[in-house]
Amino acid sequence: MDCSDNTDNNSNNGNPEENSDFEISDILNFYTEKGSVTDPQSMTFSISGEEHTLGNALRYIIIQHPEVEYCGYSIPHPSEDKLNIRIQTTENTTAIDAMRKGLEDLKSLCAKISETFYKANRDFDEKNNIS
Amino acid sequence: MDLFSPANKPEIRIQELTGERIRFILTNTDLSMANALRRIMISEVATIAIDMVQFDLNTSVLADEFIAHRLGLIPLDSTEADKIKYPRDCNCSGACKECSVELNLHVKCTEEDTTKDVTSKDLVSHDPRFTPITEGPKDAGILIAKLRKGQEIKVKCIAKKGVAKEHAKWSPCAAVAFEYDPFNKLRHTHYWIEEDEKKEWPQSKNANDDFPPLDDEIFDFTAKPNRFYFEIETIGSMKPEDIVMNAFKKLLEKISSIQMGLHSNDVPINGREPTRDVF
Ligand SMILES: [Zn+2]
Repeated sequence: MDCSDNTDNNSNNGNPEENSDFEISDILNFYTEKGSVTDPQSMTFSISGEEHTLGNALRYIIIQHPEVEYCGYSIPHPSEDKLNIRIQTTENTTAIDAMRKGLEDLKSLCAKISETFYKANRDFDEKNNIS
Repeated sequence: MDLFSPANKPEIRIQELTGERIRFILTNTDLSMANALRRIMISEVATIAIDMVQFDLNTSVLADEFIAHRLGLIPLDSTEADKIKYPRDCNCSGACKECSVELNLHVKCTEEDTTKDVTSKDLVSHDPRFTPITEGPKDAGILIAKLRKGQEIKVKCIAKKGVAKEHAKWSPCAAVAFEYDPFNKLRHTHYWIEEDEKKEWPQSKNANDDFPPLDDEIFDFTAKPNRFYFEIETIGSMKPEDIVMNAFKKLLEKISSIQMGLHSNDVPINGREPTRDVF
């Protein structure tokens, strides 16, 4: 396991010139933590404006991937509007691809349950003669 | 694990559905997914609520802030909340027709020796789609203040679209009940008892829809919850089935916005500048 990259939550608070990733976050809600791009197999992603709602569901979906060795999430501080997701994979894939796949899988699972609910609702209405 | 194999096909059974309540069982899905649904319904389904109040006149015994707070909590019909913009997404500087709804209230008590009730029925909306909700003609409305002779309230309210994450007044739900494993077979909870657990802890009503453990059942430590009991009670601003559907829509939106962020950021490996022109 590669632990050399700095995924400490405060790693961006030092030199302002090193904060280029944080400028991106002004316009994007998704960026990688500084220092986590040296090893494509282990990365920490940072998502602003999200919390346990998405974090836990996404974590669950990503760990289903057989090439993912580790996936965990944390909300570093309650007063900071941010969610960190850590992914470590085998050599066969990259963390970013695992993230892409995870988002895609979560999307289809969500769409599936949504459709199931829609059908259940329609059947219930039909059975009880609600137009 | 294949998320979409027949064994993992999510199922939903609606047990009860009325104008203000829905009960359903969600099966064959993970706790994280069920919990995401619960959390979104409580705090991220958008509704319309009064957000700004301008007091032209208030000679009642209640302070302006007190009345403004009460106005904010009045449920407004939000079935067409998706037709209105969030104030932050609107091009206007303050409030316009595309991102807000104006409601006016002007009540004066003129009668001797009686108190006059100011209720949500006195609110006059400029947009017929977004009005204070009423339960039929017999409904007296929600009490805002009481006036004595000569007292008067005249206010202009601006209602805006928002989510309960920001303020609970925007929550479409009065309550979201969520339960799994009513027999505690998974031992996710520990019952405090004096003598007998069965006598001291009454069963939840969801126990009737679950599978009771056998007397000699061995604890399965690999078991995971996969049967979730939901009960959603609305505040009347939205139909309960719409709240559930909107919650799914919101979750899909969240994922899409991250996919978009991931795509446009595209991981700046080796110091490559991320492309910003995607937006
Ligand atoms: Zn506007």
